[in-house]
Amino acid sequence: MMGCRGADLFSEIDMLRSQLLHNVEVTADCQRVEEEISPQDVLTRIENIILGIVTSLSKDEAPVLALPNRSSWANVSFDSAIGLQMSSGSSVTTIRSDCALSVAKFAQILKILLVIYRLVQSNSYATKRDIYYNNTQLFGSQKTVDGIVDDISCMLKVPRRSLHVFATSKGLISGDLCYIEEDGTRIDCHSSSADATFQRLLDDDFCTKLSPCIIITGKGVPDVNSRLMVRKLWDTLHIPIFALVDADPHGIEIMCIYKYGSVAMSFEAHSLTVPSVMWLGLLPSDLQRLRVPADALIPLTSTDENKLTSLLKRPYLTSQPDWQKEMELMQQTKVKAEIQSLAAIAPDYLTSIYLPNKLRYGGWV
Amino acid sequence: MLTEIQQVLRLVMILAKQRRRCGLKTAGGLLVLLWTDTGDSVQSLNCTVAAAGPWCRGIQMKALQPDLRDLEEIMLPCAWPCPPPDPEELFAFTDLYGSPKLLLSFQMNARLLRPEWCARLEAFLHTFSVHNAGINIQLRFSLNQQIVQRDFRVKTKSRVALANQPSLILDVTSSTVPPDWVETGRWCVGGHPVLGGRLPLSIPPEAMDQGLFGELSVQPVTLLSPCVLQYPNLLTQLTHIKVLVCSPSNVPVTGPSTFLQNLPAHLDCRELGLHGLRCSSFKDLVHSSGTVYTAEQENCEDSEQEWSPPRAQQRLLLFLFLQHNDPFTCQLSDIMATEVLIERHLEAILNNNRKAVTAALQTELRDTLKVQNHRKKDQEKLRSAAEVILSSSISIVSCSSNMDFRNACLNCMKARDTHELSAALRKSLWRVTSWKFIPKSKCYTTQMEEHPESDELTRAEI
Repeated sequence: MMGCRGADLFSEIDMLRSQLLHNVEVTADCQRVEEEISPQDVLTRIENIILGIVTSLSKDEAPVLALPNRSSWANVSFDSAIGLQMSSGSSVTTIRSDCALSVAKFAQILKILLVIYRLVQSNSYATKRDIYYNNTQLFGSQKTVDGIVDDISCMLKVPRRSLHVFATSKGLISGDLCYIEEDGTRIDCHSSSADATFQRLLDDDFCTKLSPCIIITGKGVPDVNSRLMVRKLWDTLHIPIFALVDADPHGIEIMCIYKYGSVAMSFEAHSLTVPSVMWLGLLPSDLQRLRVPADALIPLTSTDENKLTSLLKRPYLTSQPDWQKEMELMQQTKVKAEIQSLAAIAPDYLTSIYLPNKLRYGGWV
Repeated sequence: MLTEIQQVLRLVMILAKQRRRCGLKTAGGLLVLLWTDTGDSVQSLNCTVAAAGPWCRGIQMKALQPDLRDLEEIMLPCAWPCPPPDPEELFAFTDLYGSPKLLLSFQMNARLLRPEWCARLEAFLHTFSVHNAGINIQLRFSLNQQIVQRDFRVKTKSRVALANQPSLILDVTSSTVPPDWVETGRWCVGGHPVLGGRLPLSIPPEAMDQGLFGELSVQPVTLLSPCVLQYPNLLTQLTHIKVLVCSPSNVPVTGPSTFLQNLPAHLDCRELGLHGLRCSSFKDLVHSSGTVYTAEQENCEDSEQEWSPPRAQQRLLLFLFLQHNDPFTCQLSDIMATEVLIERHLEAILNNNRKAVTAALQTELRDTLKVQNHRKKDQEKLRSAAEVILSSSISIVSCSSNMDFRNACLNCMKARDTHELSAALRKSLWRVTSWKFIPKSKCYTTQMEEHPESDELTRAEI
């Protein structure tokens, strides 16, 4: 079980928090104040797209839509205060209305623009799922709708939430948090449901033992809502945020998405990234230090090694020498491990020893 | 008269082909001069065929005389030699192409001529010109003190390379006039022949009995006209297919073919994307050379709509080049006789290879018309997407409360209300989509220059 509670347990965390708050004050003026996009702005931007189409046709030219390219590393730049953000003047993909290969996408974009226009105009909301099921023949798949909604957000330079289109969240949250949604609904996060490690933490009553604390999971690669929630918690509460991920390249990448953002959503980096995220565990150096049994370790596959090499080349790693060391250690040992591997030491090792000690003694990087 | 001229042309072509194997050029001139003589109350028609230019370089009349004497019986059964024409009659020709390497003159009783022989001769020479586009043909009639001259000179030609054979130079000129709004230089005035798969043919016993041996095959070449490759969204509609058969010496085979006339009944029109094919009546074929099929059209649902997408009507030319190889046939007279046998037994040869020929032609037509069918599918995609684009745009304009935006849209399209705006947008979208232009370097622009003496393909880079 854990050692004594009280000020000792949180002294390192409090020091970290002070440091983070100091950085926030220093950079507050420099950070972009998030642009408020009014519903009328959204409508106007959509009308401009339509006017562009009408103008092209009036000149006997085929209408085209220019979508910023959200999948190219060449279109993002790294800022330590923000993370990965879309560069100005990034390359665009042209969607033509006179080409059989792209005209379907052109039509899908127009259809979703119409849906968004009506939602914003009537101040109502819909999910991406609703949009898909209203016209499955046009869209073909949910993935198509999902991609186009993000494309429209990027094209109009409007945050996703301003489009009045929701995604169904896959993330989970639990802990010492209550909040009220825009429509007045009160949400109490003291109870929640499952994901393996998350459930383990709940079963061991981790949030009570380490109270006050909030645990959140995106169940793997986080969706936008999960990232928004983490970002909201940081913006509102300025509490230290620690990442607990598997000691493997995929886990590290998930953590990087929370901290620095993704290429695909780089156009919304300002509202999604949390550069203050610290890597709490499971660290590759923990595996050696704690002598995790060998049979709980898994050899890296060639995909893992390629992913690791790719991560080490990412622009944000140069400002994280400690993370680089951990990843180089993984490259050398050529093994990975899941968080659950700690159960090989003792069934409750994670919640009774590992996490409390990590938090008490500042075992994060 | 036509048969005699055909035979003389066969001789010229065989001689030229033998020299072309040595890599000589295919350009030059051919003169067919006809004039009447009245004497002894029998009207005679005289004919001179002269060949000049690079394509017949190396032919020497003197050296050929012995062969010509032997060939007279085969070539000119109803004619007899006659003196050559007045040299002045040849000036216009020799000025352009130089002195003739080959000049043959013969005479026949004008009363033996079949009706409409002039029209038939013109049609034949036109078809000959299509197959041998490098040769410029002058046809001059000097009859009853009237002089009529026709020049068969190809504007746009294309070379088709063959394995182990001299290349074909085909007339690919398109006579289709583009719509007014097509800008100058944006319409291909030629076509792009496609070489098909060569099909070996077995020789039927009755032909073998007559002395036809060796390896016989048919080489199909297809040509769609007009070319609309530069307009990828333009719908096309096939109206006619014309089949032209050519002997091994590249001389057109004349006369109707029952096999070819009945071919549509054995083709799978559905696979070709056609509703049906019917052979044109024989009456229509008299002057046309070749076998012509009319493509039956579906009832167009577009006609019920306010505005339907434009379609380019196309014709398909299917060349069937007969090829023959027999190492034991090398004498000029034997080669001539073999060709005559092939033509005489062509019907039997085609029937003897009915299944294989039908399947091969089905494949060639299917591959050629694949593009048309793809266009139909693409057109469907464009049409259904256009409906969504237009309805979404109009909905946004209609439900917008921004008067500036609404007025800007209406003014752009000079519409009074959203109903007119919808119609104007629809028409414009269809027009810009259907007539989308993508230049292709292999297409022929209207600024092409003619080079009658050159053996090079003439085309302009777009």
